[in-house]
Amino acid sequence: MEQKFDGTPRAEIRLDGRRVIRGEVTHDWGLLMQWEIRRNGQVIATVPARAETSYLHPDTTPGTYEIVLQMWKYVDYKKKPDGEFINSKFVEISNKVSYTI
Amino acid sequence: MLHVGKVKIPLCSGLSRRSFLQVGSAGLASLVLPQLLRIEAARAVEERSAKIRNCITIFLVGSPGQLDTWDMKPDAPAEVRGKFKPIKTNVTGIQICEHFPLMARMMDRVALIRSLHYNTGATHENGQRWMMTGHDFNGDNVKPHCGSIISRVFGPRGDLPANVILPGPIGNTGAGPLHGQTAGGLGSAHEPFFLGADPALTDFRVADLEVPKEQSAFRLDARRHLLDQLDELQRRTESRSTQMHDSAYERAFRLLTSPKAKKAFDLTAEKDTLRDRYGRNTFGQSCLMARRLIESGVRYVTVNHFDTVFNLSCWDMHADGGGLNNTYLDYERMLCPQFDLGFTALIEDLEQRGLLKDTVVAVLSEFGRTPRLNGRGGRDHYPNAWTNFLCGGNIRGGQVIGSTDKIASRPHDFPVEPPQILASIYHGMGINLDTTMMPGPGDRPVRLVEAEPIRQLFA
Repeated sequence: MEQKFDGTPRAEIRLDGRRVIRGEVTHDWGLLMQWEIRRNGQVIATVPARAETSYLHPDTTPGTYEIVLQMWKYVDYKKKPDGEFINSKFVEISNKVSYTI
Repeated sequence: MLHVGKVKIPLCSGLSRRSFLQVGSAGLASLVLPQLLRIEAARAVEERSAKIRNCITIFLVGSPGQLDTWDMKPDAPAEVRGKFKPIKTNVTGIQICEHFPLMARMMDRVALIRSLHYNTGATHENGQRWMMTGHDFNGDNVKPHCGSIISRVFGPRGDLPANVILPGPIGNTGAGPLHGQTAGGLGSAHEPFFLGADPALTDFRVADLEVPKEQSAFRLDARRHLLDQLDELQRRTESRSTQMHDSAYERAFRLLTSPKAKKAFDLTAEKDTLRDRYGRNTFGQSCLMARRLIESGVRYVTVNHFDTVFNLSCWDMHADGGGLNNTYLDYERMLCPQFDLGFTALIEDLEQRGLLKDTVVAVLSEFGRTPRLNGRGGRDHYPNAWTNFLCGGNIRGGQVIGSTDKIASRPHDFPVEPPQILASIYHGMGINLDTTMMPGPGDRPVRLVEAEPIRQLFA
């Protein structure tokens, strides 16, 4: 029996200075949740977000930073020859916040 | 004093006439089980004084690798230690995998057993039989599931069955049908009740609790009356199997007609925030249902984390590129987070409701995984060393029992075999293993397990 996942997870995130804070996740699928951090449009880090409800990215390189909360969406376990999943993927579950250094 | 279930059989100190007739001239070999099963006699168990009144078993089908979860060896060579890193827990000196951050905060409640092992074969079914019954066996001598033993010894509380397995039975895991999730020789009255539905689905319903639309309450009563009459006829030719079926029918009617049973299975009665805390997935909602069932009187609940190992994301991390292609990515993105959320939610929830002190939660699996990564970066079956754990009841948390060598390939100290886990659960629930027996070959009473409890587990 494949695991079934009910609903679509959603959370609101906000900034307090450079620290990003997440609210409760509704319809939480319970899979890997992570902050995705972009600088000037490029992904520079993904950081686990399950254990703590806030995160301060330590990088202070000048640029515009954009952060969003993501969760793993399991569709099936099929993988490419390089080991990466074919159909399962990370999806955004929050609004985006940004700041500039 | 010897007991078969709740039946008292005095021994040398004083054999009663009744028990003498039951035991007969051939001694225990000729015990009359049908009669014994019906007699309500002095308790063989110390239920009132037992520290553990309920048990929830989470069974990790496929089996996680010990080196990737709860027995990490960060100083071992790369091909042994794997990809994950250990993190500290709230107990000094105990580290677990970085992908269990929530569990790390409650290690003071958990007793890890890092020296489990057996040597009778490395199929999933071998491990399932060992860990669910305390025995290995073949089709001629099927041993009962631990929950069926609990059902037999204590009986049900109220309308709900004593032994429930969620969400369904283990299916194909590669090597035959003997998974250890039946009542074996105890008969249908003690078969586990399988939910047979996915509690994560919005339109979740338990088929066995639904009276078919074409059936009115009147017709249901009429059928029950007819069945009662048939049962009376059957009793005249009394046999063990008919008595077992009596109980099975009775259980089915109780479930169909009991508002309490329906309520116990109704997850919509829970707040959305709590359902989210468990994880809106099959495993998480099964854990939540396990708590509801325990709260409603079920004594033993098993949550199967997966029912097969083929063609889906599960713990069986062979990375074979085919039908068993689970890898570190499955562990990191799905399996560990899902377990971490569901397990910790269950423990918190039980504790907040005052149920954890009466309920042991046992996280069990079939075996460990090979210490060295295979050629594709996976790990294969390995029954020589692995870690399982217990918490709740009077289990002393914050401790590690046993250890393995430098590459987690063998127990280094305090080796533990599967029957000892079962013996510990029975002991914790107040069952005296020296005097409480189950029917064996030829209906002779035999020990529930050939092992002693792990005394160090208990506070």
